[in-house]
Amino acid sequence: MNMSPDATAPLLAVRDVGKRFAAVQALANVNLTFRAGEIHALLGENGAGKSTLMHVLAGLLRPDTGTILVDGCAVRFASARAAQQAGIGMVHQHFTLVDALSVAENLALSLTESRRFRFRAEVTAEQARALAERVGLELGSPQTPVAQLAVGACQRLEILKALAGGGRVLILDEPTAVLTPQEVRPLFMMLRQLRDQGRLVIFITHKLREVKAVADRVTVMRRGRVVGTYAANAVSESHLAEHMVGTIAAAPRGERPNRLAGAVLLQVAEVSAHDARGVAALQSVSFEVGAGEILGIAGVDGNGQRELFEVLVGLTRPHGGTISVGGRRITEFNPRAALAAGIGHIPPDRQREGLILSMTVQENFLLNRNLLDRFSHRRMLHARAARRFAADLAEQYALRFASLDAPVRSLSGGNQQRLVVARTLAEQPQVLVTVNPTRGLDFAAAAAVSDALQAVAGLGCAVVVISTDLDEVLDLSDRVRVLSRGRLSAPLQPPVDLEQLGLLMAGAA
Amino acid sequence: MTVTVARIAARILPSVLALAAALIVSATIIAVSGRNPIVAFGALFGGAFGSLDSLSEVGVKACPLLLAGLAIAVAFQAGVWNIGAEGQLLMGALGVAALGRHGEHLPAWLDSASDLAVGAALGAAWAGIAGQLKLRRNVNEVISTIMLNFVALGLISYLVQGPLMEAGGRYPQTDAILQELWMPRLTPYRVHFGLIIALLAAAAMHVLLYRTVPGYEMRAAGLNPAAARLAGIDVERRLLMALMLSGALAGLAGGIEVNAVTHRLYEHFSPGWGFTAIAVGLLGRLSPAGVVVAAIFFGALDAGSNAMQRVAGVSSVLVSVIQATVIFFLVALERRRWFVEPTRPSAT
Repeated sequence: MNMSPDATAPLLAVRDVGKRFAAVQALANVNLTFRAGEIHALLGENGAGKSTLMHVLAGLLRPDTGTILVDGCAVRFASARAAQQAGIGMVHQHFTLVDALSVAENLALSLTESRRFRFRAEVTAEQARALAERVGLELGSPQTPVAQLAVGACQRLEILKALAGGGRVLILDEPTAVLTPQEVRPLFMMLRQLRDQGRLVIFITHKLREVKAVADRVTVMRRGRVVGTYAANAVSESHLAEHMVGTIAAAPRGERPNRLAGAVLLQVAEVSAHDARGVAALQSVSFEVGAGEILGIAGVDGNGQRELFEVLVGLTRPHGGTISVGGRRITEFNPRAALAAGIGHIPPDRQREGLILSMTVQENFLLNRNLLDRFSHRRMLHARAARRFAADLAEQYALRFASLDAPVRSLSGGNQQRLVVARTLAEQPQVLVTVNPTRGLDFAAAAAVSDALQAVAGLGCAVVVISTDLDEVLDLSDRVRVLSRGRLSAPLQPPVDLEQLGLLMAGAA
Repeated sequence: MTVTVARIAARILPSVLALAAALIVSATIIAVSGRNPIVAFGALFGGAFGSLDSLSEVGVKACPLLLAGLAIAVAFQAGVWNIGAEGQLLMGALGVAALGRHGEHLPAWLDSASDLAVGAALGAAWAGIAGQLKLRRNVNEVISTIMLNFVALGLISYLVQGPLMEAGGRYPQTDAILQELWMPRLTPYRVHFGLIIALLAAAAMHVLLYRTVPGYEMRAAGLNPAAARLAGIDVERRLLMALMLSGALAGLAGGIEVNAVTHRLYEHFSPGWGFTAIAVGLLGRLSPAGVVVAAIFFGALDAGSNAMQRVAGVSSVLVSVIQATVIFFLVALERRRWFVEPTRPSAT
């Protein structure tokens, strides 16, 4: 508090903020200014640093470097409560409500004046009503148990909670991710209302059309840095998409081996699928991949990427349509059937879905039904053969580790991904489905993974690269299609017209 | 091989630390109550390992703990928190006690073995109830297995006072099982063939978990269900299998105890073996070999506690304090968070 409040200072600003998690620079020299009375969208891919930045603003993380200015005064938040007392409240993607308590009781948990030993229901309900009136949000009956509220109402309650301390800044982390399309409109109306009262609303998203629909200004982040801040009505969706997914280099891509696509190996016909909320996420998606071909599926995250992966690897049953491998139609949708049909995969998050971190390197080399069958006889594992297999693959893919008996947790990220790739390719799948296969890897590991994909395609595998990183998808693929709002574009042949790509990603097709 | 030695050392380190801490705490308690901890621990040790007779008692006490501890290890390794070993053990005891009152037209050893098999099957079925509830209705197995303990207790209480009450009708207990069904013991000592069965079961569990495909799949499903599922493993099936296998081992523990030691079933038959087994399993780091060591240790505590009371004047209840303190320190040292459901993967 080294300066007095300045009437002309912006409501909230960050100066040179940096934050590092182990090897990852999550934020690097971030400078941003937020004004009172605006809706400011923060746009970026997963891992771009937007959530980290918001957690810094909301007092949940302390920055390594830099300062936060509220009304021009440098502040340092010791906790989320301290940030809230300074007027900054945050609504998380996952609600923090107590289901068994009523609306009023949930609000009481955030109201500082009710934090006394004695709890009186009438007083709490009265305070809740007063707060709702002050903020101008419809609350309904304060006595309703939260468990009975719809998702939209829960979110409204979360917003009230965030503003309970007389908040002037409201931060929302992907608020539309949990909502159905019908619930989004009232949310936006609410946000506009809060803005018109002079509040600052910051919301995190990776959906371009939401930016255009509700934001006044938008800041794009990529890899921990601010790409730029734009007036939302003066920037096109395709420009935002380009800024968000990659520094689009005009330089020509490196020469790739000239492979001719062979017979069609993977045929996806009019596949539709729902996401976890039951909303249509894939709408009649059709494509074919030939032997030896790498098809890139580009697009902004949240446009059906996860669902396409899940359908192809058998985690989700499609709502309609057919998938065939080598002319044989898949009738059973579970991961085992997909593996048996010859569909290998490299999952998007290796630590979560590709590896068992506390098992050993050798045990992780067996984490695949086909390989378990290959290295067992009458359900007994062939320990020696499995060990030789692991050692050979480790050498072939230049994996570095202390011992085959070391836990996989002790391997670097690049070596973990090499293990996943080596294991997947070892069973010579006919079709390979990968999601962001080189994300988060250092240069050498990324190059090794990329080489491996080219090599397996050279051997006649049909490869699908689903990626939200434009650089990655252009680097790896022979042809590129764009998945936007659950629909797949026609293929773009190289050299890809970047402007057209940007438009397709923005959903203009 | 130094790497392997270091890994094993790292694995058992928490158990060793917890044991040391528990001994310090109990020594303090003994000292505060005005006795000599060294004398007390000496008596405890002598009472357990001082003679062949006491050694035999260690074996008798360790047997149910070993089998029930294996039950815990198998379930927990597969990520199923079976807190119902007590109830499953009682169901196994019930099976053997009920069937053993009448002979079948079989050789005695075969009759005895088939009774034990039925006991194990009853334990598996009892655990299977919780398993089906989990798979079909998503009922948390911690709750359902705990509750099934009380159902088993109530059921046995009813049976030993009603339909299965001894012919004389004097005490709430079943008739003794036929003497020819009793399993052999190492006369003149009390230690019996059940200990061999328990040790064989430990060896079998080691092979299952580390040398077979179903065992690998169970461990994978327990450690990371999302990755296991994507690898084509039928996670639900493995959970159910682990839980029922766990129930079978617990049932076998109860069955052997009836067959070899008590020869009949009565209320308060188990001094809480199914719960102590959780301590045994955790102390043994959920590995079958570790469970063998932990069960012998706990058996020795039980067997030596009387000598400690007699010689050093320290109440035998102190043994429970040692056992409980071990668990407190183990759980505190453990990095893995017990009983927390793993989160599902979010969207990309």
